[in-house]
Amino acid sequence: MTSGFLLPVAHALASRQDLPIPAWLFAWGASIVLIVSFFALSVAWRTPRFERDRWRPLGARLSRVLLGRPAQLLCGAAGVFLLGVAIYAGLRGTEAPDRNFALTFIFVTCWLGFPLFSVLLGDVFRPFNPWRAIGRGVGGAFTAFAGQRPAHLAYPDALGRWPAAVGLLAFVWMEVVYGTSGGVAVGVLPETTATAALFYTAYTLAMMALFGVEKWCRTGEVFSVYFGMFSQLGVFATKDERLGRRMPLAAATHWATVPGSLAVVIASIATTSFDGAQEGAFKGAIEQTFDWLAGTGLSLTASLRLTDTIFLLLCFAGVAVIYLIGVKGMESVRGAPPFAKLRSGFAHTLIPIAFAYLVAHYFSLFVFQEQAQFTYLLSDPLGTATTDLFGTASGGIDFNVLTANAIWYVQVGALVIGHVVGLTLAHDRATAYWGDFRQAARSQYWMLAVMVSFTCFGLFLLSAGNS
Amino acid sequence: MNSNIARVAAGIAAVAVAVLLLVVLKDDGGDREAASTPTAITDSAPGTTTSPPAKAEIPTIVVEGGKPVGGVKDLSFEEGDRIRFEVESDVSDEIHVHGYDLMKDVEAGGSVTFDFPATIEGVFEAELEELEQPIAELTVNP
Repeated sequence: MTSGFLLPVAHALASRQDLPIPAWLFAWGASIVLIVSFFALSVAWRTPRFERDRWRPLGARLSRVLLGRPAQLLCGAAGVFLLGVAIYAGLRGTEAPDRNFALTFIFVTCWLGFPLFSVLLGDVFRPFNPWRAIGRGVGGAFTAFAGQRPAHLAYPDALGRWPAAVGLLAFVWMEVVYGTSGGVAVGVLPETTATAALFYTAYTLAMMALFGVEKWCRTGEVFSVYFGMFSQLGVFATKDERLGRRMPLAAATHWATVPGSLAVVIASIATTSFDGAQEGAFKGAIEQTFDWLAGTGLSLTASLRLTDTIFLLLCFAGVAVIYLIGVKGMESVRGAPPFAKLRSGFAHTLIPIAFAYLVAHYFSLFVFQEQAQFTYLLSDPLGTATTDLFGTASGGIDFNVLTANAIWYVQVGALVIGHVVGLTLAHDRATAYWGDFRQAARSQYWMLAVMVSFTCFGLFLLSAGNS
Repeated sequence: MNSNIARVAAGIAAVAVAVLLLVVLKDDGGDREAASTPTAITDSAPGTTTSPPAKAEIPTIVVEGGKPVGGVKDLSFEEGDRIRFEVESDVSDEIHVHGYDLMKDVEAGGSVTFDFPATIEGVFEAELEELEQPIAELTVNP
């Protein structure tokens, strides 16, 4: 009865989807990964180079302008304003996903744009974070009226970044699981997105009131933690209200010392994998599970959501198991630190992989949708065809700005570079943990296997085998 | 010690090669499958107008009860080809070809033909706009 039911096909926003990587390019990509990996084993350095980030301040005037109070107020106000526009457009604008400002702004411009700009420019989300801005405003007003700083509960340190990891899964769940309900390719509706944003705002402000604004941004606020993770790879960072430069990648080596960080980076890889595999590698299994669940008397919508939820969680478990096998293997090498130390000690080596997955999967979507963002979505945010704020409402997306070949090379290039950077960080950490260089090198066979699995799986998800 | 390292390295290399082979072979399987599905490779010169014999080759998507018979139809083309297909529908709706952004109305019980040059590479969906029901997936290879 249910087998004739058609599963939804695609992201609502993606008018042009990527062609799968052809077999020859897949083979080249995978071969390069293997060759690079074995080369890495032979030329390795013997003392850690990335454990200290060697931060150096940039010009004091630049810091004053970019980090001063006027800039903070301006950025914070811009963040709050744009969140407001997105929520308003979601609630009052058109239901057509591609014509409503809310969806492209939240899921493409911010969700995909901030990781990119965080790597290039540092933690750029922090000044624009609307919840941090509101929280700091409220806190400042409280201090002014009550004559004392607001008191906060002590944040349970063992909880660490777990709330952010769960929140990250929840965000993607809403985007790709909840949204695909109903058996039509609508994706998530603008109104649902706006409602979720309102709930998230209330939740975040409550948590900030309980634990303090900065504390919550470091541990629980999904977007701060997620974008902040990518900013660890780059060279720009602030320290004590000063803007500075540091050694690339070095800051990442200390990122995962907070509990739950590993879960955040695994969630990032898992969610991208799920999105890439749900219409390919997992399609058959998803359909079978769906048919079985629908056969037990569940409604179609509930069956579909439950099935996708199961597979999203399976992705999380799968990525975690591969990583933990690698850690278990490293533990078996003589002179290894305890399992728990190894487990968090190598978590940061997955950040470049997570970033490579993002670029490989969403690069073309970002390039296409940003054209919409800065033409018709900017001038006609509600999609009602009645406003033309900046005279660009009649603009559109030129899908020919990227050829299929250009997309393929960016995808394979991103994965290969992510692989190399991941290996670099892992090798460097091993030289810090093992006094004996030979043992350090042996431990890295295991991380090499982990990285090769992720990179080749990433390539596979983009290839014809997955379509 | 050294032989031990060599053994581990050889083991990893073997596993990696096995994984690679598996995936590449599986890949080939996917290709064959794709090749065996009915595709619309139009041999006729781009300029020719639709003559009766050519029309017989045009793939037809039959919509019954607002859904495509036999599921979403996969059609693939090369860049520079003409993309031609016909939709016979028992519901009235507007058919929207994404990416190329072409719309055509179809009457209940009527049919409509699309014929346009494949200028953009990628995978595109054709859907019944009102019902939000995908009916075909157009692949344009470079």
